[in-house]
Amino acid sequence: MAITDIPILSMLRTRLQWAQERQRVLAENVANADTPRYQAHDLAPPKFEVTGGAASTAVSTVALATTEPGHMSGFGASPAQFRSERKPSYEVRPTGNAVNIEEEMMKVAANQMDYQAASAVYMRSLSLIKTALGKK
Amino acid sequence: MDFMKTLAIAASGLRAQAGRMRIISENIANADSTPSSPSANPYRRKVPTFHTELDRSLGVQLVELGKVQTDQSDFRLKYEPGHPAADKNGNVKYPNVNSLVEMADMREAQRSYEANINVVTATRRMLMRTIDILRA
Repeated sequence: MAITDIPILSMLRTRLQWAQERQRVLAENVANADTPRYQAHDLAPPKFEVTGGAASTAVSTVALATTEPGHMSGFGASPAQFRSERKPSYEVRPTGNAVNIEEEMMKVAANQMDYQAASAVYMRSLSLIKTALGKK
Repeated sequence: MDFMKTLAIAASGLRAQAGRMRIISENIANADSTPSSPSANPYRRKVPTFHTELDRSLGVQLVELGKVQTDQSDFRLKYEPGHPAADKNGNVKYPNVNSLVEMADMREAQRSYEANINVVTATRRMLMRTIDILRA
């Protein structure tokens, strides 16, 4: 069992990946804040199933094929596929640009807090494992 | 890694806004550049354009400074009979630069630049949090 198979860690990993991806989308919005006819994008929040551990609906994982009985199912790099969202903005400038820079700044700050929260929980979970291992 | 993409996007935004500042400063510096003869035209105001550019190696949408265009509005006429460029009525053509408009444009460029800097700072902080997981 790999460390990433632990449900809480994989859930947190999905959350962190989502925040990373969202940061990229928000950076695109801010960089194109003066481009004519540019529409702001955002990411839909990841959906976690009630029963399952990982965000199976939001993330499509690519698993290694096991062709021999001795093979172990590894965990490859799974590029997270999050849905991109386009919400109608409050204001559209005469050039057709619909980026509200204050709104984007708010989102960047919120995203950063999200990431910090998730990474703090990740660290705590790791230290739980360390405690179980008997490390002082 | 997504954070590197984010930084690349924010850097493209910074570059575009810096180029815009360069054009604005050109306009302000040349606000009184009169022609040397009555038949010639004075300095024509330049207008920066932005467009979205897909970076194929990163797979992200960067922003780029497009072709610099010229403002086609009329030149200012000033009555200065002693000027070498004065026509037979004593009028001299001055550039179609309005310093008030340039100042407003400069503020906007400054604000967009700061917004991009903000994204870089937030992303760096998130990156440092990721590295902190390793340290824990």
